[in-house]
Order: sequence, then structure tokens, then C-alpha cells
Amino acid sequence: MQTSRARLFKEYKEVQREKGADPDIQLVCDDSNIFKWTALIKGPSETPFEGGVFQLAFAIPEQYPLQPPQVRFLTKIFHPNVHFKTGEICLDILKNAWSPAWTLQSVCRAIIALMAHPEPDSPLNCDSGNLLRSGDVRGYQSMASMYTRLAAMPKKG
Amino acid sequence: MVSDSIANASAANSAPNARDFAKKKRANRSAKLKQCKLDARREQWLSQVKNKGSGEDSRGESRQQSGGGHQSLENLETRRRRDDENGSVHQDSDSESPSVSPIGLTGVLSGNHSSGNCTGSSSSCSSGSSTGCFSGSTTEEEEGGDDGCLDDWEAVADALAADEEPQNPPFDPPPEGETVGGVQSRGEHGKKLVVPDNSRSECVKRPPRTASANNQAWRPDDAFRPQSLPNLSKQYSFPNTNRHYGGGAIPWGCSKAISVPSSCPICFEDLDKTDSSFLPCLCGFRLCLFCHKRILEEDGRCPGCRKPYEHECSEAEPSLLEGSLTFRLTRSHSMITRA
Repeated sequence: MQTSRARLFKEYKEVQREKGADPDIQLVCDDSNIFKWTALIKGPSETPFEGGVFQLAFAIPEQYPLQPPQVRFLTKIFHPNVHFKTGEICLDILKNAWSPAWTLQSVCRAIIALMAHPEPDSPLNCDSGNLLRSGDVRGYQSMASMYTRLAAMPKKG
Repeated sequence: MVSDSIANASAANSAPNARDFAKKKRANRSAKLKQCKLDARREQWLSQVKNKGSGEDSRGESRQQSGGGHQSLENLETRRRRDDENGSVHQDSDSESPSVSPIGLTGVLSGNHSSGNCTGSSSSCSSGSSTGCFSGSTTEEEEGGDDGCLDDWEAVADALAADEEPQNPPFDPPPEGETVGGVQSRGEHGKKLVVPDNSRSECVKRPPRTASANNQAWRPDDAFRPQSLPNLSKQYSFPNTNRHYGGGAIPWGCSKAISVPSSCPICFEDLDKTDSSFLPCLCGFRLCLFCHKRILEEDGRCPGCRKPYEHECSEAEPSLLEGSLTFRLTRSHSMITRA
């Protein structure tokens, strides 16, 4: 409890200090609860998520950093490793490959990398995974970019 | 006497022996004699103090009683100063030091806390050189200031040599045989301890500088002084270095990168000596012993390479845990000594 709080506080200070160091990630701590964070990440370029801004919700366990934070997408995203309804993320570093050396910032970077390199063999979104596994990259990309435009971009006119 | 003896007789009442009378008379007389002597001694002492306090202009006409020891003390000191200093400055200090001494004494008693006493003593050192010494100790170093400061440091060094305890000179009681000048300078020293940071750092710097500027004070026969002075400066610089350590460890982010991080990458607490010499995994990932123990209790994998810690699966685990426990103990011990 105490350790996790101290560690999160240090991470918070680090985030404040390096604000703008990584323009793709914006980490914000909940005003009243340091165990709740939200992050805004930009979709990586040359992917169907380019131009979109995705919101992530972090719920941090008290055993953090020995236990990984629970992260899910609040913004809808069409991605094989993200549950379409709940936003749950299938990412090894958020499960068994977690290391206490990781930080919330590095988790965000890992998620951005996951968006650019989906793993269709362990899908949470079967439709998306099936499209990729069947080799229909174009179908996957058009579906993903459509949802990006619908959900992750500011509405126009 | 007669009434006395009568009273004694009435008190003795039973068998007024002549011998008893004689005895008692003798006792009474001896007691009175003793009293007389005591009174005389007290008077002598009082006059001595008064003589000191009323200024040394009257030294020439010097009361008889104050004589011997005091005078010789002064002579001793004047000789010492004459060795070290020019004629004029020495004259000043010579004529002043006794007049200052009582105030300086009280200054020693209370001077560490109230700077008012010290300024009082400084004002009583009426001549230019000695006031210069005070201003020099706080702000700039003029000629007179140098002289006064040197005087100061010499006295402290003398006290040190006499004490043979260079660890904490400002807090040692002065040795009995110490001269008046030594006491006075200790008063000044106390004042210096009171003044805030910048002048303290100057205190640290001063000894070598004055040594180079004015080598009158440190002669070959004073060879022990430069040894003790650096000790003093070292003592002053201890808290500073501690502060540097504390401050330097705060920006952990800068040094977290490659070689030996200054803070644990898990809990972001500073790594102490034991931690930074602790290398639990071959991959070179370092962490503090506290986090290491917690990881061993959970999944026991190195955060750097995600391989299980080698010792863990074997029978060596309890011994390792014990080792970490003893490490922890030594760590806390070191923290205590540091604090």
C-alpha cells in the first residue's frame, strides 16, 4: 500500500517533469485517487489508427508495481487484441510478462506498439483477428480506420 | 574574650576545667584567624577581578594582591603575541585583552546563543584593529581583520593542541592553563558559529587563504597548526556534504539509465551503499533489497530479464533470505549512524 502510493507519486512527479517529452502520450492522474489514471494516446502513424486519440483507463492495484496495472480502452477501437465491448487489452506485459520495472508511461508506449503490431493469434476481437489471419489486411485496415474516424476523432461538421 | 569565656563556661556548665577554657579559647582564636584569612583572600580576589574589569590603564599602579599569577599570565601572552604580530596591533591587543576578558568570559557562557553579548565584547575592543577583526570575520577581510582572525585561529589551534581532541573544538571546555586571549577568541568563535550560512562557508575557506596572504602566523615552530585547521574546516563541511548527498540523489531520473542507478527502479527510493553493491541477477538489473525481498515473496523473477532469480529454486533460498535480512539490518544501522 505504502510502497505503491510512494511509487505512483514518484511517477506522477516524473510525468509532470517530462510533460511533452513524449507527444504521443498524455498521462493524467485522477484528482482524488492516485490509483486511478487516464491516458490519452495518439494512434501511431501509417496505421489505420493514425489521427485518432484513444483514451485509456488505468486501475492500479495496491500491490503495484509488483502487480501490473489494469488497463483498458475507453475509446472504441477495432483491434484484434482489444475487446470491442469492454476495451480489455490482451498484452503479455499486462499479464504474465509484467515487470515491476515498467511504469505507466512505458505501458502506454507498449500499447502504442501493440496498436501498430497486432497479434492476431491471441485475439480478443475475433472478427478483427479473423480478418488478419485470413490475410484480409485491406478489410482489417478499412474497418479499423472507420472505427477510428467514428470513435477516436473529433466530430466534424 | 571574657564574656566569651563566661558564655563558654555557662555553656559547659558542669566542670569548668581551666584546660578546657584554654582549649576553647584557642579554638575560637584559630577560627577567627581562619575567618580573617578567608576575608583577606576574598578581598584580594575581588580586587583582582575589579582590577581586570576596570581596565588595564591601572596596571602600572597595580594592587599588590592581584600581582603574581595574573601578571605573569599577561606577560606570557604578550610575549606570545609579540612573536606573532606587528608592534602596533600587538600593543592594542595587549592593552585590551584583560579589559575584554570578563565580558569575553560571559560571552563564552552565553555567547553561543545571544549575539548581543558578542557584539558587546566587540564594542569594548575599542581600537580599530580589533573591531576590524569582527567585521572581517563576517564580511570582508582587511588587514586588521586578517590579524584578528589569525589570532583567533591560533588560539583555537592552541586549545586544540592542548586538548588533543581536534574533533569538535568549538564545544570543548578550554583547558585551565589557557590564556585570556584564548578565552576571548573562543567567544568570537561562538559568534561565528551563530552567523548564518555564507559566513560559515567563509569560515571553511578562510584558513588556507589567510595562510597564503599572511604567513606571519604559521611559522615553522607552529607546524602543528595547519594540521588542526583543516580538521576544523572538515568538521564544518560535514553537514554541507551531507546536504549534497541528499540533494544529488533526488533527481533520480537523470541517472536511472544505464550503469548504477541512484534510485531503485521499482520503488524509486534512493539506493544506499548496500543496495548499490547488491547485484541479485546476472543480467545486471539492480534494485533495492526491500523490493528484491518482496519480489522473492511473490513471483521471484528478475524485473530486468524476467528470469527467475537463480538462488530461488534451490535450497539456498532460506540462506539468501537470511542474507537479505542481515543486509537490511546493516542498512538500518548505517542509516542510524548517518543520522
